[in-house]
Amino acid sequence: MKSLLKKGFNQVDSLFSLAFTPAWNPMYQLGAMSFFYFWIVAITGVYLFIFFETSISGAYSSIEQITFGQWYLGGVMRSFHRYASAAMGITVTLHLLREFSMDRYSGPRWFSWVSGVPLLWLLFASAIGGYWLVWDQQAQYIAILTAEWFDWLPIMVDPMASNFLNESALSDRFFSLLVFLHIGIPLALLLGMFIHIKRVTGARTNPAKGLAAGTLLAMLAISLWRPALSQAPANLDFAVTEVGLDWIFLNPYPLINSWGPGQTWGLLVGLSTFLSVLPWLPSRREKQTPVAVVDPDNCNGCGWCLADCPFEAVTMKEHDFKKGHQQSVVDPDLCVSCGICAGACPSSSPFRHVEELTTGISIPGMHIKELLSLTETKLRELEVGGAPRIMLYGCDHGSVVGGMESDSVASISMPCSALVPPAFVDYVLRQNLAEGVMISGCCEGDCFYRLGNTWMDQRFSMERMPVLRTRVPRELVRMRWLGAQGTKEQQREVTAFQQDLSANPPGGGLIDLQEVGHG
Amino acid sequence: MVDVRRYLAQALLYVLFFLPIVWLTHLPVHRHLDEGMAELKIAVRHAGAIVGACTPVTAGVYTPLPGDKKRPEICPRKRSPLQLELIMDGETLYRATVVAPGLHHDGVASIYRRFTVPVGSHHLQLRMNDDAAVEGYAWVFEQKVDLKPAQVMVASFKEGFRLQ
Repeated sequence: MKSLLKKGFNQVDSLFSLAFTPAWNPMYQLGAMSFFYFWIVAITGVYLFIFFETSISGAYSSIEQITFGQWYLGGVMRSFHRYASAAMGITVTLHLLREFSMDRYSGPRWFSWVSGVPLLWLLFASAIGGYWLVWDQQAQYIAILTAEWFDWLPIMVDPMASNFLNESALSDRFFSLLVFLHIGIPLALLLGMFIHIKRVTGARTNPAKGLAAGTLLAMLAISLWRPALSQAPANLDFAVTEVGLDWIFLNPYPLINSWGPGQTWGLLVGLSTFLSVLPWLPSRREKQTPVAVVDPDNCNGCGWCLADCPFEAVTMKEHDFKKGHQQSVVDPDLCVSCGICAGACPSSSPFRHVEELTTGISIPGMHIKELLSLTETKLRELEVGGAPRIMLYGCDHGSVVGGMESDSVASISMPCSALVPPAFVDYVLRQNLAEGVMISGCCEGDCFYRLGNTWMDQRFSMERMPVLRTRVPRELVRMRWLGAQGTKEQQREVTAFQQDLSANPPGGGLIDLQEVGHG
Repeated sequence: MVDVRRYLAQALLYVLFFLPIVWLTHLPVHRHLDEGMAELKIAVRHAGAIVGACTPVTAGVYTPLPGDKKRPEICPRKRSPLQLELIMDGETLYRATVVAPGLHHDGVASIYRRFTVPVGSHHLQLRMNDDAAVEGYAWVFEQKVDLKPAQVMVASFKEGFRLQ
């Protein structure tokens, strides 16, 4: 099921990237879009609250007044409030399914996954509370069923449903309580959302501006075209016969009525428990490799690995033996073994004057000296004098580069392409081991390890340390973030790169030989 | 792809995203109560009789007690469970025994049930026993009712059953 889902998401991702560009692709920022919708709901909610009357007779009529009396503002606000909450329900569901299908829920990512489960309950409770306030037929339907649903719990002494026996049983104070809940629960949701992203470095909580603007425009259009309306007013003296339901948030309600409250509790609590323990259930995925290791002899305490770690697994402490210096420390519970830290380490430069290349921080599965040795071995096996030789670095979660090897193309796949230090590119070209270096990986904005391709882009455009030095001709280096679904396109890109290099061979002597430091 | 085509594609995707949302926020309509049906609710909140009798306090126990604790009798707190039966047209729709809540079972017992019943004329009978020391039903109520479509009829209890 997971692979099917992943395939589906990859297809949809490609489609959206084509229309929106990767930077605006909503599928890569479902979490940020959920935050965005939350803020729309919050702001419009404040406006609606100003005009809302918390009484039996006033609730329905005040909302009708907002909807029709000031359709141009209040009505639009109400529609934004409803449609943004529904859209948030969709983006949150897609976010959950996407992270599941992409295997981004276990290991050190368990915290974000598990903390997301209660957020689902809070989101549903917030939405359901909002529908109660309208006090129309739908509100009557969900009020009675919610009360009966909670009454099933042994903690309830007095049945809540007794409050909805008939019109005379209802009190104005009930609406005051509802308003309190409808403000309190979303606030708890917001707090939970911040806890949810607590362990994520530089978590994206704002979507791309263009995407946000487009979303607002689209919402304005549908709010004018199909404004959110109330149904007939509630009347507890008569049962609801037919009701237009919000199937995004109210889908469990028909179950409460047909299955009974106990079974519905069983289903929802069971589902939540399953989701909560999912990160620890046996899986067919590969076992995680050992976490990054710090070599104090080669760590100068620069903190670049700390700045680049996408999961805040690196911290600094006083150096073991260099007084006044710091050194990195890896938290094994947070490290995902991506190797981005090794790519950031200034000691990972093959130009260093050392007998055997070593580095300040590395992952045991692909030590920097192994990467260098593999690079040299593979490139020396390539045919000289034929097609331009290409060193193709790829990541295990992006385009599959293993099948692209040929007489003129060497490839190495690793956990994350950002494991490749920029100095390696310099080294390969400078040693004349290849005519070009190509780096591929996950789709732009959708790195399996969150920030790998972003950091690579910044390192190569000299915005982030360690930079790709200016002396490296940029036409000999290409980066392509095409993702797993872009393997065929990646193959075409390699061929095109070779053709370009053949057509415009690099001028003799790439760079002047000079002393090269590391970093 | 030129920008105009890209923006058109975006517009199409926005439509594809929001159309189902607009639709799903109120459609398809759900039928909760079939035509020709009404609802009957029982809502009873009543304290059962105390189980057991008060016993006089002997002088040996009474004398050392502080002033505010001196009572001539010690009375049990436990209350009888409520036994309730709802019979409609001779058929038992509901029969339950509800224990008084609380650690000492001394609370007020509550019963709430909702039934879907056909509209039309029915003979309703409600019986309740709230005293474990008494055999049979201390409270009996019978009435012929005529239910209209979707009507909600509530049977409650306050010193006797009543229909609303």
